[in-house]
Amino acid sequence: MTIPNSDAEYTERVIELRLPSRLGYEKVAMDAASSLARRMGFGSDRVDALRTAVSEAVTNAIEHGNEQDSAMKVMVMLMVRPDGLVISVADQGRKQLEHDKTAATPRIEDTFNKEDKGGWGIWLIRELMDEVEFTTAPTGGNQVRMVIHLER
Amino acid sequence: MIIAMNTATLSMELSFPSELGYEKVARDAVAAFARRLGFDRERIEDLKTALGEACINAIEHGNGHVPGLHVAVSCICEGERLTIEVHDKGLNRYQGIGSGAAIDVKLQGLAPLRGMGLMMIAQLVDEAGFTESHDGGNHFRLSLYRRV
Repeated sequence: MTIPNSDAEYTERVIELRLPSRLGYEKVAMDAASSLARRMGFGSDRVDALRTAVSEAVTNAIEHGNEQDSAMKVMVMLMVRPDGLVISVADQGRKQLEHDKTAATPRIEDTFNKEDKGGWGIWLIRELMDEVEFTTAPTGGNQVRMVIHLER
Repeated sequence: MIIAMNTATLSMELSFPSELGYEKVARDAVAAFARRLGFDRERIEDLKTALGEACINAIEHGNGHVPGLHVAVSCICEGERLTIEVHDKGLNRYQGIGSGAAIDVKLQGLAPLRGMGLMMIAQLVDEAGFTESHDGGNHFRLSLYRRV
């Protein structure tokens, strides 16, 4: 496997995965992403960060976007760039992600008093990845695009 | 956690560029899938070796190392059977091993070495072989049965 040079003419290397919306199968995306990242030269701490971010993004897609209907798919794209790895996770959008969920930073003080301790996944993804963007996929589902930079 | 047995059909698909090295990512992804389905470690190692060989064949022969051409892998688990198909674009179509010579004959140099990968795959999984394809590509299928 070669990591492309930025100046060379080159076809973008993309790995695509379509996973069933069942909890547990986010592991497939985590293992694919970490296998690729290790071979690209990411250090083990960055690979761990990537695994966690992919896990959160795919779990969100399974649980919320596709409401755990295992016939619905989660689409994961891994794009190899000279300066890093771009990961896009899209669901089929049975449930749309509310804008304030992706923008606001949750406060730990509020969580103490709430029954539901969740809602930290998106915050975690933003903490772990170098670039994060929430959009609507061409298919109408929720999509998150994450970038992790390769420092040489 | 409860692993679904006998009930649902679960599937996943992936595709990757025809460049050596990417088959390892495919192998790791499919291994994770098989692990979720409850296959044991030893069988998963066999599956990884067999799938790696099948993917390398697709990269080298079927897609002629052209990175823009993708190898497509689909996995479907129905009941106790996990079936994995590897599809390429068929730049070179599989013509059969030809001689079908035994491995010791090949090793003595009395028959061409080609086809060793396929012989190995056949030893590692429960069923393996090329299937009929209508899109011009090579379709290779391998299956494993979950032993309960």
